[in-house]
Amino acid sequence: MGRNNAHWFALPAVALLGLFLLYPFLDVLRFSTWDWSGLSEPRVVGLENYRNILRDPDFYNSLRITLIFGVMTLIPFVILSILLALALDGQPYERPIKALLFLPGLVTLGGATVAWYTLFSPEYGALASVLPVPRWDQSPFWALVLITLFTIWRHIGYGVLVVSARLKAIPKALLEAAAVDGATAAQAFRYITLPLLRPAITFLVVIGTVLTLQGYTAVFLLTRGGPFGGTEVLGYYLYKTGFEVGRLGYAAALTVIILVLTLAFALAQARLLREEK
Amino acid sequence: MRWLGHLLVFSVALLVALPFIWMAYAAFIPPEAVFSGDIFGKLGFSLANFEVLGRGGFWEGFWGRLLFSVLLTGGVTLLQLTTGFLAAYAIKEGTKILPFFLVLLAIPVELLLVPLYGLLVSLKLLDTLWALVLPFAASPFIVYLLFQGMRTVPEELLEAARLDGAGHRVLLTRILLPLLRPQLIAAGVLAFAAHWNLVLYPRIVAGSKELKTVQTWITDLQRQNPADWGPLSAAALAATLPLVIIYLLYERRIVETFEEGLKG
Repeated sequence: MGRNNAHWFALPAVALLGLFLLYPFLDVLRFSTWDWSGLSEPRVVGLENYRNILRDPDFYNSLRITLIFGVMTLIPFVILSILLALALDGQPYERPIKALLFLPGLVTLGGATVAWYTLFSPEYGALASVLPVPRWDQSPFWALVLITLFTIWRHIGYGVLVVSARLKAIPKALLEAAAVDGATAAQAFRYITLPLLRPAITFLVVIGTVLTLQGYTAVFLLTRGGPFGGTEVLGYYLYKTGFEVGRLGYAAALTVIILVLTLAFALAQARLLREEK
Repeated sequence: MRWLGHLLVFSVALLVALPFIWMAYAAFIPPEAVFSGDIFGKLGFSLANFEVLGRGGFWEGFWGRLLFSVLLTGGVTLLQLTTGFLAAYAIKEGTKILPFFLVLLAIPVELLLVPLYGLLVSLKLLDTLWALVLPFAASPFIVYLLFQGMRTVPEELLEAARLDGAGHRVLLTRILLPLLRPQLIAAGVLAFAAHWNLVLYPRIVAGSKELKTVQTWITDLQRQNPADWGPLSAAALAATLPLVIIYLLYERRIVETFEEGLKG
């Protein structure tokens, strides 16, 4: 019991979050057993949606694309975050550059994609008039590259911040002692800095995987899943089946599957990265 | 080695800044230059693109949508800060519900489109202003950030005020509110950006003309006239500038708050 009934002050937040976050999160299970378009009367179909998803070639295709996209994004993202955090550490320009890197994550998404689109569009883009831009409107591979670059652009500031916060927690005396003992800079990095950065890297990989498995906004804004379905990541497939095709029950079952996949991936990675010592 | 680091930092910084520089440049390109394809040839400066945005009725045009979005997101931000501030106070005063918020932190809101849609249908809130407000009136992340801030307030200070007969209202408004100003600002900017950047959700739950957010408006324009970058860039710039300015004003606080949150 809180002092002087202070617990009542938590009520608005608890009630709102309970209704609009926790309840839908649990309710998605119920929807996933429905055949429902949002307008029609729902029909209970049991586990049929799940059975259909497991036989749905579009689902596997979209899972494959998501995994490729995840690898393409995460590896450069983590490496770049580490390199930038190291290069920035202790420089006079550290603060302004970090502020700049953080900016894309906050600015208007629609506006940001307009800038990207008008810059990089192979047909109308400004860059296309100066240098050859790969036809990402025709090639699924280049379309994925574009989404990858956009995603890294948006989140790199956060990645650098995570690594850099960890970097600052490493005692300088440790590195000085290593230098006294004759370790080269490369050795010091390999045997001291890198192992101590492990928690930050684990964090980035897990968060990054979660976001890739669930993300779709960049795809919606830049390529709409195209060309030829080549960028139809899971989140976008979910949106499309639910709200463009109008199969909300099916989309709910997809939501559950994505959540389970996310949980499995995150746990496996967290365990793997922790035990690898 | 050192110069390699500088090179890396500055090339990445340039690439990150490039879309912003381009956006600011393209917004003022004279329309003739776009049509002739000679974008970089002669430097021109024109406000014609901004005039195009003003066409049509005010409320359905760009400026009306911008104003609507600012008011909507501003209101939601205030609500989030209020509910978060009160909840953080309750936790600080000994209510044991921090785990509840931490668990909610792990629920991916973006993925809940379908059940949230179903809930709004059954509450008959679909296509109303409430659909854009209520699901965002509280945020576990903001509760967490504000509680982190409140933890740094010494207990003796509150105890002394209580001995002087201060009630909840005085503690909240006279002591904690001014002390938490920096955290509230940082949390406010993050909350504002998060709501401002909703793309698919408003499209799905509030599609009608009077409820269109500036994001949706720009995305629609881009779909209709992808080659017409002048007005597109002008709209993008005008919709981005408020956030950039707020961010630059409070950038130090925001980055620090994030770093503190990471230590958490």
